[in-house]
Amino acid sequence: MRITILNGDMAVGESVFSDYIEQLAVQLKANHSVEVFDIQKMDLHYCTGCWCCWWKTPGRCIKPDNAEQIFRSVIGSDFVIFASPLMAAFTSSALKKITDRLICLLHPYIKLKNGESHHRKRYDHYPDFGLILQREPDTDDEDISILNDIYDRLGLNFHNKRKYTRFIELDTIDKIIYETCNI
Amino acid sequence: MKLVIFNGSPRYKKSNSAILTEHFLKGHSLFCSEPVPVYYIANYKQREAAAQIVEDADTVLVIFPLYTDCMPGIVKEFFEILAAHKYSSAKQLGFIVQSGFPESIHSMGLERYLEKLTHRLQFDYLGTVIKGGVEGIQIMPPAMTKKLYGQFEMLGAHFAQHTAFEPTLVTQLRKPYRFSKTYAWVFNLLSKTGITNFYWNSNLKKNGAFEQRFDRPYRN
Repeated sequence: MRITILNGDMAVGESVFSDYIEQLAVQLKANHSVEVFDIQKMDLHYCTGCWCCWWKTPGRCIKPDNAEQIFRSVIGSDFVIFASPLMAAFTSSALKKITDRLICLLHPYIKLKNGESHHRKRYDHYPDFGLILQREPDTDDEDISILNDIYDRLGLNFHNKRKYTRFIELDTIDKIIYETCNI
Repeated sequence: MKLVIFNGSPRYKKSNSAILTEHFLKGHSLFCSEPVPVYYIANYKQREAAAQIVEDADTVLVIFPLYTDCMPGIVKEFFEILAAHKYSSAKQLGFIVQSGFPESIHSMGLERYLEKLTHRLQFDYLGTVIKGGVEGIQIMPPAMTKKLYGQFEMLGAHFAQHTAFEPTLVTQLRKPYRFSKTYAWVFNLLSKTGITNFYWNSNLKKNGAFEQRFDRPYRN
């Protein structure tokens, strides 16, 4: 399998979360092709809604930064892992920054599905994804329910599905590897 | 009431959020002569100062566009800045979320998040106004935007008097929740003629990019 891991950890220096993701990547690499992107360490701009990727340079984002390698990796993957410690009860702004930029992978034309507007596919295949998170001290079940709802909508928009939501405090790396490769 | 508004559009002052804010404040000024400062989250200095700005206010409204059925990354950074601060008193916090897609279902998960975030901050939640179908208002003729701008002026006028979003307007603005089966049938029929792509195609042609519209530049 080709797997892309988008690590949105914003901690400066050593971090339990990034150590976990690094261990996960090492073990996945034993049998799979894995690319890991430490979002916070990359030169990445926020999406400004310029829509150049839809009507000036179709499919191509014009921001002069390092996002292209992420776009290529994501669209060429069988599975994507969105990884982030929770911050203000949601995935980090670093991870959201690159998630917004993935809009260039869709086509501007709209189709209706279940009474909802969605952008059409630009590519044939969009990889399913999983979430790996780290809880905050006050994270509760409602937070997780909200987060899953929002990521399920991301899946609706990107023609793919959220396959799991896992936590580094609760779930072993072996379990996540099994779910990543077998669900 | 010391009200401040944060505009969270990455498009900054040229945004649809700015236009809606302008009409909200036009209505607000009918009942409140005190000027309402508008800060731009896309402005790095104003974003960094956000917690202090909120600390100095009583009531805060945040208006922003929907990105991937959620808040834009830049607004998430703003929320992280707010959440890292301890406030000396409870504030009132409300939101206006506007989107390109007309149906409010796209914003429903985010609405739950915004309410929970407000409680997490130990602020009073004023609600979330959701308005879809906003993309394109800058090129629409006045007759097409008159109703929307009027609704935002009424929203602002009511807010100045009651520090609350007027519930009937909130309900009206978030319609439709989803499209009806009849609408979907008509849309799908029209899509076969290509007319539903008119907006995109005219811009693609204007930019000399129409022939490349199905390009897949990131395919390996």
